[in-house]
Amino acid sequence: MTDFVQLILNLLIFPGGLFAVALGLFLMGIDRKIAARLQRRVGPPVYQPFIDLVKLTRKEMVVPGTAHLQAFWFAPLLGFAGMMAAVTLIPIAGVYQGFKYSGDLLVLLYLLALPAIALMIGGSASSSPFGAVGFSREMVMMMSYELPLLVVLVTIALKVGLATGGIATFSLSEIVQFQLENGALLFDYTMLPALLAFLVFIPGNMGVVPFDIPEAETEIVEGPILEYSGTGLALFKLMTSLKMIVVLGLAIALFFPTPLGKNFLVNLLWFFLKCLVLMVIAITVVRTSTGRVRMDQAFKFYLRYPTVLALISLVLTLLQR
Amino acid sequence: MSSFLKIAIRNLLKGPSTDTYPYGETFVPKGLRGKIKYNAKACVACRMCEHVCAGGAIQIREVSDKSGLEFILWHNTCAFCGLCEHYCPTKAIRLTEDYHTAHRQEDKYRYVEKGFIKYVPCASCGTPMVPTAPELLNVAYDNVNKDIERLSKLCSKCRKEKVCG
Amino acid sequence: MKKLLQKIAKKSPWLYRINAGSCNGCDVELATTACIPRYDVERLGCKYCGSPKHADIVLITGPLTARVKEKVLRLYDEIPDPKVTVAIGVCPISGGVFRDSYAITGPIDNFIPVDVNVPGCPPRPQAIIDGIVEAIKIWETRL
Repeated sequence: MTDFVQLILNLLIFPGGLFAVALGLFLMGIDRKIAARLQRRVGPPVYQPFIDLVKLTRKEMVVPGTAHLQAFWFAPLLGFAGMMAAVTLIPIAGVYQGFKYSGDLLVLLYLLALPAIALMIGGSASSSPFGAVGFSREMVMMMSYELPLLVVLVTIALKVGLATGGIATFSLSEIVQFQLENGALLFDYTMLPALLAFLVFIPGNMGVVPFDIPEAETEIVEGPILEYSGTGLALFKLMTSLKMIVVLGLAIALFFPTPLGKNFLVNLLWFFLKCLVLMVIAITVVRTSTGRVRMDQAFKFYLRYPTVLALISLVLTLLQR
Repeated sequence: MSSFLKIAIRNLLKGPSTDTYPYGETFVPKGLRGKIKYNAKACVACRMCEHVCAGGAIQIREVSDKSGLEFILWHNTCAFCGLCEHYCPTKAIRLTEDYHTAHRQEDKYRYVEKGFIKYVPCASCGTPMVPTAPELLNVAYDNVNKDIERLSKLCSKCRKEKVCG
Repeated sequence: MKKLLQKIAKKSPWLYRINAGSCNGCDVELATTACIPRYDVERLGCKYCGSPKHADIVLITGPLTARVKEKVLRLYDEIPDPKVTVAIGVCPISGGVFRDSYAITGPIDNFIPVDVNVPGCPPRPQAIIDGIVEAIKIWETRL
């Protein structure tokens, strides 16, 4: 019984639910502020995403007449619920253990595909040509960036599995445990190409420039989310900020989870600092310094360079045995 | 990539280059074409501004009790081109440097610049006429002596009789 | 409670531009207030959004030409309430320099309720920011 209550508390308050929403929106506000300062502007205040959400709940919701209503309202709820569940799977070393069942890395891989699917369903249920174009672009992007992610996850699972005497462990808590005993995977030279591949995967997944093709503002009028207003749009924005927490938390758990001592609050602040540094490197600096690429250029890029880097790591891991 | 990093670090060090309006003062360049200011004492009602106005914003018409002419300029059609200032012979109409033109919808038809020229009676026959502005005399003559001033107080018919006989 | 929500929500108005047949002079000034660092409009919490369904403050430029009138009216209906309309430049307010043309159907407030006017040809970016600040004050009362 207490297990169940613990589960509900994890899902709704910490680390899922309220904590993750607050952290995600705060990180997005800091991202906007730093991007503005890099462009010599005064940006919006750091708590701007919270104000955006409050304003979105005060607007009325206009739904197109020919849209498919059940799918239209199902899509943002699906994405939001999926991401809320995914946040409870991320272990934060020294603070929260995650799930101790084997195979939660694969569940996380499937849950990470949910936001893209939600955008696709929303785009095609909108009965608008721009939504349909956004739907097809989102599908191509998802196919292209899932491949390096899969190879990186298999590489790390193989490495940890082979070193602990099995074949491959698909359990995040065991990977974190291995790194706490043997040193973080960041400092292992065979894992550096995989780290690079993961860092390149993050902008594509988050939909920031140069890979923000499905949500291209100036080309297809904001793509799949164009017919959403009011609360539906607020759910999509929440889904994006939760996805950022999941992806950054996954990167930290896979490569550098070492805590600083045993204090709960210090470890929490250390996690927040790691998220911030990773976000600045992978999202903000990339966003302010590049322009959008074309669809076929992004597809060819993702199928060549990050995949080759991840495959190099895989080969080095297999050779090390 | 390295050239971008140099720019990024320079941007972070130099700070924002944003103009502080609306929280502070902003610069106003000299000669900015802003709202119109009309000086009724210098106007001779030649109606040149009404003729060249690009937006059709100027109207000079007689008031209903025929005591003078009123000048109305509606800013919501004015294109701020400056043609009226360029062609006015006495520079009675000028463009100031005031650019604060945003206003609400209920003030839309009140956003005008008004002026009134009162007729003065002619010194000999008494018909009402537009008074001659001293700026007009300075434009036409090098030095204005007493004869010219006496002539300027007559209406055009009396002036023709007096000069040509 | 409603006043508290009004006070918070007024700090994030999203802008949307409609070009109703304009010569693009005022549109260039609008792009200037958004994109270049000198007249940053994000300090007020504003953001230019791409879709009309996300808009709060509607900026209209251009005299309403006969060809575009029906489309602008349809687009205006798609913007969810509460919204504030700002007419930028003299063209939407009274026809401007094109007022006698056969292609113009008249000032915009014959068809759409306008709230703030910003005359000028084109108005200065600082005057446009003035208009946006005035529009935010009106929008707060409608939230």
